Formats: sequence, structure tokens, C-alpha cells
Amino acid sequence: MAIAQEVRNAADCPLCLERKQALPSRVNHAEHASSGELPATAVEAVHQITTDPGRLTHTWFEKCQADGLGDAHYVELVGVVVTVVSIDAFCRGLGVPLHPLPESQAGEPSRRRPTGALPESAWVPMIKESRATGDEADLYGSDRTGNVIRALSLVPDEVRGLTDLSAAHYLRPKDMMDLTRGTAGLDRLQVELLAGRVSALNECFY
Amino acid sequence: MDLRAITDPESAAKCGVAHAAELVAFADAVVGDDDDALSDARERVRQALGPEGLVDAAAVASNFQRMVRIADSTGIPLDTPMSAMSGDIREELDLTSFGSASNTPVPSPVQLLLGRLFRPLAPYLMRLMARR
Repeated sequence: MAIAQEVRNAADCPLCLERKQALPSRVNHAEHASSGELPATAVEAVHQITTDPGRLTHTWFEKCQADGLGDAHYVELVGVVVTVVSIDAFCRGLGVPLHPLPESQAGEPSRRRPTGALPESAWVPMIKESRATGDEADLYGSDRTGNVIRALSLVPDEVRGLTDLSAAHYLRPKDMMDLTRGTAGLDRLQVELLAGRVSALNECFY
Repeated sequence: MDLRAITDPESAAKCGVAHAAELVAFADAVVGDDDDALSDARERVRQALGPEGLVDAAAVASNFQRMVRIADSTGIPLDTPMSAMSGDIREELDLTSFGSASNTPVPSPVQLLLGRLFRPLAPYLMRLMARR
């Protein structure tokens, strides 16, 4: 919940605003506008991913790691950030109030690291389709999937959450592969035009 | 579809997609921070595509507010088949100028050649994969 709250704090963060509009050397604010519940490195990661994803670099990621944000913590943080960003964007798009954040529930993290997750071409370890076995056998629903689906597989539940949310907001994985499939209110060309435009505005090469 | 609409909103109206100008303006407003512009864009989409179209437009835009952040925060490269098949499109749209382009290796000439050969078959191959 602290990560989710930081996503919302980032919207009005003077440091994030200055960074987006100026060269890094010209930024005056030293700290993010934060609730103060998370370590500074986690706050930096949440705010940067939320407000300016097009300027994320491998060097920035490595600094997060060097400052104590482990890879699994980072992946789970990304999963929470993108969930809140997208649900809030949906509300904003429709012009309805943002959902209040729920109360946090008691419990301990599983701290389980899937053995199938290995370093490869991304910044974080991922599970290849052929290694999605045992507890992760359900993860992709196919023997071929895209890197963006595998990206969060170091924390398998983040992939499951992503798949559920994408089925509601976009298309089910099987329907994505059939280019004649649209949604209830848009044809596929309209869907992909929106997808491409949002991606271009965020300067996302992928 | 004329893909230039993705990077050049001026060309949206003639890109071959129904109500493209309204959808592009809506995408711009969702990603931007001007609430008045968003309100106008929302109303234009509602008039053009009805309430169902508006709900789906908001959903798709929000989906890609999520996906771009997953891709760019994890440093994933473009999948190799897509990278090989879309080299000319990336050049035309100047996508290689994006910072996150550095996460994807430049395809070899052989991969580019194979990509061009296989691109016409891509929709059929994707549909076959979906059936599996």
C-alpha cells in the first residue's frame, strides 16, 4: 500500500516535474514528495517509473540495485506500480474518481524465488517458457509468449495479475494473436492505434 | 493503415482507421496532464464511438500505460522475430531515437532478410500459435 500511495504522490511531486522538464543538472529539488514510509531508493524507483518511464536506463537500474533494492523486490515494486498506474489511468480516462486504496492486510511475504528464473537479456532474471514448470506451469498458457509477459516472472504472481488485468483492459493472450479480434467497442485497428500512440508518447521502443 | 499516425497526430484523420483523430487525441490526453483537454477528448470519443467505445478506449490506453512501464523498467529487448520483421517500420517512425531502443540489439542483415520474407506470413503464423 505504501508503494501504491507513492504512485499517487508522484503525480504532484515537484522533483519529478522538474526532471521531466529539465536536464538532470538543472534540477533543484533534492528529494521526492513522499509519504516517508519507503526507503529513498524505493521512492525513487516508484516515482521515476510512474512519471518518466522513457528515461529509465540500465545505469539507473544498477544504481537502484547498488543502493539496496534487490531484483525480486524491484520486480514486485514494478508490478504494484504498473497496476496502480493503469487502474488510475482508466478512472481518469473515464472521468470517474480514483478508487481509495484498500487497507493493508496482515501477513508475511512468501520470499519464494522461482528456480526457473535466470539472467538473460533483460535487466532482471526471467522464466523462459520451457522452464515454466511445477508451480509456474500455469504462467504463460502457451509455449511461446512475449518478453513483456515474461518480464515480471521473477515474481510469478505479478505475471498472473498482469494477465488478468490485460484480459479486462485489452485482450486475452490467445485473442492478442488473432489480429482480426477487437474489443466490444473498438475494432482491432482502433485498439492498436491507441496502443501504438500511448506507447509512442511514452517513448517506449518495445 | 498508415502507421505514421502513431508518431504524427496530424496524419491521424487520413490513416485508414475509423475515428482515428478522436482516438489519437484521447490517447494524448490520457498520457498528458491537462484535465480540460481530457474532458474534451473524452466527449469526442463518446460522440464518435458511443459509451462502449469510450470504455474500451480508456481501458486500452490504460493497459498500455502499464505495458510500456513494464517494458522500460525491466530492460527487456524486443522479441527477436518482431525485431527482425519490423526494422523498416522502426526506421520510418524514428522509434530508434527512443532511449529504450538501446535495450534491443540491432538485428543482423540475415535476420532482417528473413524478417522481410516472413512478414507477410506473420498474421497466419500468429493465428496458428494462438490455436496451439
